Amino acid sequence: MASVRTQKEIRQRAPIWLVSLLVANLIIMAVDAKDSDGSQKVLRIWTQAFASPLQNASSKATGATSGFFQQIWNFRSTAQQNEQLKERLAQVETELHSARQATDENERLKSLLNLNEQTNIKNVPARVIARDPSVWFNTITINRGSSSGIEVNMPVVTAGGIVGRVITVSPWASQVMLITDEKAGAGAVIGQLGQSGALGSVRGRADLGVGLIEMRYVSGLEKVEVNDYVMTTGQDGIYPQGLNIGRVVDVKNGTATTAHQILIQPGAQLDHLEEVAVLLYHPPPRSVPEQTPPQNAEKPRR
Amino acid sequence: MSKLKIAVVLSVSILLQLLLREVWGKLSYIDFPLVVVVYIALQRDAWQALVVGTLAGLIVDAASGGLIGAGGFSKTLTAYVIYFAATRVNLENPLLRIPVLAAASLLDSAIYVFWHRVMGYPPAAPFVQTMSYRLIATTVVGTLVLFLLNALVGERNQQRRQFATRRRVARRSTGPLRRR
Repeated sequence: MASVRTQKEIRQRAPIWLVSLLVANLIIMAVDAKDSDGSQKVLRIWTQAFASPLQNASSKATGATSGFFQQIWNFRSTAQQNEQLKERLAQVETELHSARQATDENERLKSLLNLNEQTNIKNVPARVIARDPSVWFNTITINRGSSSGIEVNMPVVTAGGIVGRVITVSPWASQVMLITDEKAGAGAVIGQLGQSGALGSVRGRADLGVGLIEMRYVSGLEKVEVNDYVMTTGQDGIYPQGLNIGRVVDVKNGTATTAHQILIQPGAQLDHLEEVAVLLYHPPPRSVPEQTPPQNAEKPRR
Repeated sequence: MSKLKIAVVLSVSILLQLLLREVWGKLSYIDFPLVVVVYIALQRDAWQALVVGTLAGLIVDAASGGLIGAGGFSKTLTAYVIYFAATRVNLENPLLRIPVLAAASLLDSAIYVFWHRVMGYPPAAPFVQTMSYRLIATTVVGTLVLFLLNALVGERNQQRRQFATRRRVARRSTGPLRRR
């Protein structure tokens, strides 16, 4: 049959298929890299739209499973005692566990509500439903999307501090790049803006992992100490001013000509994120510099 | 291997990759789609291996924060290298699959990170450490998964099972009652 390829034909055509597929991948990659910080990607949005119900279900199932195992564990630990006490204890612990979970969730949601009052910016509470499937990147997926008013580049925060920014939005889910990513960044100040001159920018660094971020460009002449608080300046066009980023955990002092090397522990617990809030924040438009020269400027002499 | 089986196995591997990190972060070091790509490449069907490599890579890329196409590129090339090796060297021995998996994981990581660096999109995880963990996890779990795949969907095993059934039927028909 003509449609059945022989092994020899397959072997001969394999390099051609390989090159075509590699070129196709390379083109997709180049297009994606070209506007990685700008517009949305159709492929990513579609994948997210299809995957989000599954991720949502899996996230709920994971919680239920861990609760189930927790109950089994509780039951096993009390089995060493007498039967009566075991039943009673298992029941009480289960109740206590769910009550504690409810209290924790309540606290977290309350703090998110407080955040709304503190910042005067509307926010959308969201639940983390998935993490990056690739081990190389630190993104999370949340269960709120464009149907909740979320847009690309909106800041994501917890009561502890900033988490990152939205990079992709599908109708029911959004992808968030964590502040620990090398591509993420935020304008920062040590202390309060206006009172401190220790201005710089924070960004992730691959070798620091998910636990720490570094602050750059802080003049070596500024006084910086461990445990100083780091806040957003609002000058990066993403995060509003005055949000907590974290606190300084290590400083290698710079000089008059070199900047300090500062490591910051993020205020948000980035490796245990459950609930976050997306700030429906649109940064004020930047003033366009005047194009026309001043009236009294002298004409350059030829 | 039939297309339906490939689609099912590939879908399950991608779902596992998408969902397991939520259960426990360390599980993301296991690259399930790569194990499936290696398995199909070892069957010496170039077209299937290349297409599965591209699809698996692209779908995981789309759900990840990295560049779309980088995973597709790395998995396609890895699939071809393994297919090429399998057509020249006998890799039927299950023990030989362990170094093949390790090499596939190394190659895949190296190409993936290389393209991200070239495109100015450096990964957020430290290279050597992440690559090592990924190599260990994928090789250990992948060896078991390959064994499972071989037992469940492997054509040779299916043929063996069919042959055993036929032999049993044949024996039954020549039993003591029939002989009389």
